[in-house]
Amino acid sequence: MRNPKIRRWLILGIASAAFIALIANMQLWQMALSFLFPGETQVLHPRADLLILTLEHLELVGISSSLTILIGVPVGIWVTRPSGSNFLPIVNDLTSFGQTFPPVAVLALAVPMLGFGLVPTVVALFLYGLLPVVRNTIAGLRAVPPDLLDAAYGMGMSRRQALLKVELPLAARVILAGVRISVIINIGTAMIGAVIGAGGLGSPIIAGLVQDNLAFIIEGAVPAAILAILADQLLANIEGSLTHSPQEANH
Amino acid sequence: MIRLEHVTKIYGDTLAVDDLSLEVNEGEVCVLIGPSGCGKTSTLRMVNRLIEPTSGRILVNGKDIRQVRPERLRQSIGYAIQSVGLFPHLTVGANIATVPELLHWEKSRIARRVEELLELVGLDPKEYAQKYPSQLSGGEAQRIGVARALAADPPILLMDEPFGAVDPLTRERLQAQFSSIQQELKKTVILVTHDLDEAIRLADRIAVMSAGKLVQYDTPEAILSRPASKFVHDFVGADRALKRLSRISIQGFVHPSPSIGVNATLSEAMAALQSHRSAWVVDHQGQLLGWVDQTTLSAAASVREAIVAQDVTEISLSSSATLREALSRMLGQGFKSIPVVDENRRLIGEVTLSDVEAATAEAEA
Ligand SMILES: Nc1ncnc2c1ncn2[C@@H]1O[C@H](COP(=O)(O)OP(=O)(O)OP(=O)(O)O)[C@@H](O)[C@H]1O
Ligand SMILES: [Mg+2]
Repeated sequence: MRNPKIRRWLILGIASAAFIALIANMQLWQMALSFLFPGETQVLHPRADLLILTLEHLELVGISSSLTILIGVPVGIWVTRPSGSNFLPIVNDLTSFGQTFPPVAVLALAVPMLGFGLVPTVVALFLYGLLPVVRNTIAGLRAVPPDLLDAAYGMGMSRRQALLKVELPLAARVILAGVRISVIINIGTAMIGAVIGAGGLGSPIIAGLVQDNLAFIIEGAVPAAILAILADQLLANIEGSLTHSPQEANH
Repeated sequence: MIRLEHVTKIYGDTLAVDDLSLEVNEGEVCVLIGPSGCGKTSTLRMVNRLIEPTSGRILVNGKDIRQVRPERLRQSIGYAIQSVGLFPHLTVGANIATVPELLHWEKSRIARRVEELLELVGLDPKEYAQKYPSQLSGGEAQRIGVARALAADPPILLMDEPFGAVDPLTRERLQAQFSSIQQELKKTVILVTHDLDEAIRLADRIAVMSAGKLVQYDTPEAILSRPASKFVHDFVGADRALKRLSRISIQGFVHPSPSIGVNATLSEAMAALQSHRSAWVVDHQGQLLGWVDQTTLSAAASVREAIVAQDVTEISLSSSATLREALSRMLGQGFKSIPVVDENRRLIGEVTLSDVEAATAEAEA
């Protein structure tokens, strides 16, 4: 009965390989886009090859999402501990605020301080992605039934042990769901990085919008959409391997 | 072993436990009983420092528990919580292994212990160790909860309604199992229950609580026969005489009974029935076959023919039975006496209705 899990990883691996093969083959894009848009003189964005753009995009998302997780999860844990419970309302407000604040506005504010390029984009993406992670971490930890904590402490676990052995494993699914949302949002939002020269798949899209070139837009949008789907599947697979389903334990 | 001295617990403005003093001796089962909200769980949780008393102190083995680190204290006290609380993300085996793992036992020792405990609570280790809690019935889960509490062989057990969430039949089985485990392990136990019959069955001493106060602390017999207050009197109920019978073994009441060998002649049998209305019939090994009386004998050609042979297991009792069971058989069968047999179904004697009445009157006095 382990097959379904392995199969899911296999499919993801094949899909990723196909994706890489697709974006590495610029001739194919040239042909396809020329065929679709015979009127355009230029169908591929001159900034860089798709492979480079995708890597730039992944860099933006990877850095900002890692920061989001590395900071968001501990913050969520902290405000659900007795020592941090006073900060729970503030953290809730701040993370909601971070998401209602449009990323473009964050960029506008960040550029004067941080200049152009990668750093302000990462800051904007980090703030924007924080809410789902923090919110789900809090929700996941709060959903741990109090009687299980009672059992954990009653058997002599320290707070740390209860957190690591009981609370986090039980909250893992909900936390990962938050991470998943956050990463997907970031893959989409990272497009705006192109506005201030951070590159990524946003470059052809922004250029396409400015120059009214639909081919450019498609060149950026299609890989971005596939990237989002692959990332979603990757996180879904991780989620699946973390959850303990009794059926699967039964061989 | 466990000693509570003037312990009071106040939550906000709720007085949950009110100046409670209680001592549980080593190897004894103390059952806390009382209406919902009277402070039973609060009392229990103060013993392992899940909550701290507002005032008063608690000693375990003569030592004030405030001087022991809570984690250390709790690892030495088995705790079965009111709602079982098995960890759903861990297998049954891993659940049971919780405390041994906290104590850094060796892997092989933990595995052996898990197996041992599953056997102790009557579940097949091969089948159950790898299951998840969601795959267990309520009764199985409660047994695992008890096994988990016993895992590191703590000298003290705190059990909060450990057999609460199961049907009466399963509950009775679990209680019997607990009794036999306790007879073997001799833990010092504080057990909380709502169920008076359970308290009577399991307790060495019963602590009756009401609104945070200890209103009576005594043996089940004494609680039943001499309720200390109107509250206890009402709490044990109008059928306390009957309940008391379930604490009394028939052993002291078995006396020799008239019996007739199955090969006796009719006239021998008639002679034996001169002084009794009926007699038990046994075979040449002394095994109980049934009974005869004058009416059945006078219509029959031999003793064997005259036997009223009901299912013997249905009418006879073993000598470990209680007077309550004897009485219930008498009422069920319409007999004034019930035969008592040994494990080979050989007739030992009988218990009569007048014995039961005498026992009731004696305890009442
Ligand atoms: N954490 C708490 N905060 C405030 N009040 C509490 C708390 N825990 C218990 N109480 C109150 O203290 C009283 C005693 O509660 P406790 O849980 O000890 O009762 P109990 O005898 O175990 O009841 P039950 O038989 O229903 O389990 C109740 O009035 C309850 O509402
Ligand atoms: Mg309770």
